[in-house]
Amino acid sequence: MIPNLQTLAPAADPDAVLQALGEVLDPELALGVIDLGLVYDVRIAGGAVAIEMTLTTPGCPLHGSIAGAVEASLMRVEGVASVDVSVVWDPPWTPAAMSDRARRALGFG
Amino acid sequence: MTAPVTGAGAPAPQAPLAALLAASAALATGAVALLLHPSALALGAPTPTFLALTHTVTLAYLALAFAGTLQQLLPVLLVTRLAAPWLGRLALPALALGTGGVIAGFALGFQPLALAGGGALVTAALWATLVQALLTSLRARRADAAARALLAATGYLALTVTLGFLLAAAPHAPALARLLGSPVTLHLTAGLFGAFLLGIAGAGQRLLAMFVLAKGTRPGRVRAITWLVHGAVLGEALHGFAHLPTGAPAALLLAAAGGLQLWEVRAILRARLRRRLEPAVVRYLWAHAFLLPAGALALAGSEAAAGTALLLGFVVLAVSGMQVKITSFLTWQARYAGRPAGQAPLLRDMLAPGLEPVTTAALAAGAATATAAVALHAPALAVAAAALLTLGAWAQLSQTAHIVFARHRRAPTAPAAGAHPALHRAPAPGAAGAALPEEP
Repeated sequence: MIPNLQTLAPAADPDAVLQALGEVLDPELALGVIDLGLVYDVRIAGGAVAIEMTLTTPGCPLHGSIAGAVEASLMRVEGVASVDVSVVWDPPWTPAAMSDRARRALGFG
Repeated sequence: MTAPVTGAGAPAPQAPLAALLAASAALATGAVALLLHPSALALGAPTPTFLALTHTVTLAYLALAFAGTLQQLLPVLLVTRLAAPWLGRLALPALALGTGGVIAGFALGFQPLALAGGGALVTAALWATLVQALLTSLRARRADAAARALLAATGYLALTVTLGFLLAAAPHAPALARLLGSPVTLHLTAGLFGAFLLGIAGAGQRLLAMFVLAKGTRPGRVRAITWLVHGAVLGEALHGFAHLPTGAPAALLLAAAGGLQLWEVRAILRARLRRRLEPAVVRYLWAHAFLLPAGALALAGSEAAAGTALLLGFVVLAVSGMQVKITSFLTWQARYAGRPAGQAPLLRDMLAPGLEPVTTAALAAGAATATAAVALHAPALAVAAAALLTLGAWAQLSQTAHIVFARHRRAPTAPAAGAHPALHRAPAPGAAGAALPEEP
């Protein structure tokens, strides 16, 4: 699933924001959060970036770590002044959200 | 849409990591002690050495690993913050210290002062852990079947050490002995099934599903396992204290709980998306192969051998497998979370890969041989079991130390991070206020 991207006078290059997001890995599955289909919404307004994302399981032990890694990764993008990461459980993550690359890496699809 | 959850709120991972390291060291030390006293296993009788060795496994390894893990796992399962972290900081050292006293008390031939002091510390520590777990559960919006099983396991751990403490005190207090009788079976049931089976069922259900990426599993089986164990413990209590004929029905309930656990693990595996299983997960799965032989031995009347298969085969293998996963996660959190993308190792990069097959094979073969040694009262088998268990326990300790202390690097074979290919096709944003439509 490709994240929904909305921009309003973006101070940061949206492609760079998406690229930085794509580099954040789930350290357990060794797959990027974009490949896993975990990122629902990316909103860029000026230098503020708001991310709405989920995790594969509610109560995932990596909850804080992945959200923190997303924030740290985006803060290094030129023009990004602040990052707000919201982890939501609705809609819940499903395997259908994964990219073909992720499916192949996990050994199915 | 649900409100964003503000994080698992788990405390710093150093205390659980210290507990897991200490627990692994205790298992390795206990295995060496067994190697020095293999006759304790072959006799299969509750001699001082036998009791010192069994409590090294149950208290120094399993209870310490359980209590340490709980500091991180329970808030995660309940999706809330840990209540009263100071209770955990007090309970873990008290548990470790008290356990040393209990083991020394047994090893020195039922030394009353060490048993009383150690038993009191252990009991207080595990009741404090239970209070902390209950306070944490009060903060949660809801507790699912896995979290409830883990809470029940914490309660049974406190119950079993309390019973053990009273059993140790009974010979010195005739009035207490008359009141209690000898609830050894209840002590064992509350420990092996209440604390350990429920702990494995609760934590395992959630963690295994997470590690193998299984979707669509149902909580009903874990709920049923929990109620079956509640029923069995009640049956044993009525049998032990009121002398009601509820011992046999309790055993049937335990057999059903074990069968359901097998069914649950099978269902998770069938629903998994991740085809390739990691070695530590494989060990957790192999542990379940000991449930059927344990049941068969119990049915054949060889209860000591059944208990050995259950404790060393099922519980130790399952816990040691999950311990590797939990230790690597905690260490990653402590050392690598927040590092720039691409600079942190993956969890699997933190393991010494050669050790996992050794640990699994040696612990599994050691548990099987120990079971045979107890069933057949065979000293030669006891020596072989001790050697295998020592190899497995030291491999486990080495792995734990490697995870916690080694410098880890991202393996070159790990898949490179990268944006989803479709992102490169996303059109650049246009004028201010432009909104890109969601791609299918």
